[in-house]
Amino acid sequence: MDILVIIFILFGLLFFIGGAVGIIRMPDFYSRLHPAGKLDTLGIMAVVIGLAIYNLHHFDTLSVLLSIKMILIVFFVFLSSPTATHSIVDAGMRAGLRHWTQKQRKE
Amino acid sequence: MRLIGFIIVCICGGLLLYGTSEFPDWGDPASPASTHLSNDYIEKAFDQTQVPNLVTAVLADYRGFDTMFETAVVFCAGLACLLLLRDYSRKKERFYRHVPTGVILQVKHPEKKLPVGTEFEYMDKDWVPSDLIIKNVCRILIPFIQIYALYVVAHGDFSPGGGFQGGVIFGSSLILLAISYNLRTLVQRVKEKALGILCALGVLVYVGIGALCMPLGGNFLDYSALTRIIPWDPHHIRAYGMLGVEIGVGIAVMAVMVVIYINIASEGRHDEGL
Repeated sequence: MDILVIIFILFGLLFFIGGAVGIIRMPDFYSRLHPAGKLDTLGIMAVVIGLAIYNLHHFDTLSVLLSIKMILIVFFVFLSSPTATHSIVDAGMRAGLRHWTQKQRKE
Repeated sequence: MRLIGFIIVCICGGLLLYGTSEFPDWGDPASPASTHLSNDYIEKAFDQTQVPNLVTAVLADYRGFDTMFETAVVFCAGLACLLLLRDYSRKKERFYRHVPTGVILQVKHPEKKLPVGTEFEYMDKDWVPSDLIIKNVCRILIPFIQIYALYVVAHGDFSPGGGFQGGVIFGSSLILLAISYNLRTLVQRVKEKALGILCALGVLVYVGIGALCMPLGGNFLDYSALTRIIPWDPHHIRAYGMLGVEIGVGIAVMAVMVVIYINIASEGRHDEGL
């Protein structure tokens, strides 16, 4: 059981690290939103599922309820985080921000 | 004149800073608050009020007057926003869209109107095509946010939360509706009059519960007097009183949030914006 928890949390942390590095290293606005929207969502899912399993050590109604609430948090983050990213990209496109190309790097 | 103002500001600021030097340090165990008041709350609050959350007990019971006037301040903020920003004058130019053809019409005369219905519809000046994803996700999320807000209000005496937080969450769910659809949708669903009444109703619920205690033989906001009306469960009577008060706070905060948002976003015209 504990090994499963550790695997889940490490998996999530790996994605979080990827997201953090991506936000810093990516070249422009749109590509930076990509790790922010995707990797963080998957990272939070893995970490919270790990914590929810860990919470079930004392198996009773209260802890099951708490785990369900944790999974609900993941569900809502899963819904809202990509939507927020989508709307930010949408706003960027409407404001007329050009996306990054290979040409700009050479200049 | 500016120099005089600058000197006055400097003197006042200096006096305030000098005054703060007399304050006890943060978390100082010898400060007056820590030596008497906090210990008293921590030791006796649960026995006296039967509310597990000490913060709520202090906020809504021991300092009931303070919170009542805080709610009144929130109400005044909403009222001031409404009085200062509300603009009843008609807009000079309006835009309509002919639905079957998609042609956009601009009406410059302030008196002339087009019949809005299946044929024509209003259009905001800085209109953007509505986004299907954002609309649908917000439609799914808003009911959950509202249920969560009610949970935060109702659960305020057991866990962190209460009227202010719950009211803000509920108000933000309505603001999300305005952002994801448009302001007109929100104004159509939540009428301005209803919002004004709700602002005042929230404060009235609070003060009403406080005043109700007086004819029942208690002091103002002394919830234990309510046992005459609510005969069951006399141990938790203070928790019930706090719950009623928190509901009042929640209603007032929710309505004020929405009033402020609508007035600022539409520059007081309540028609379009953001």
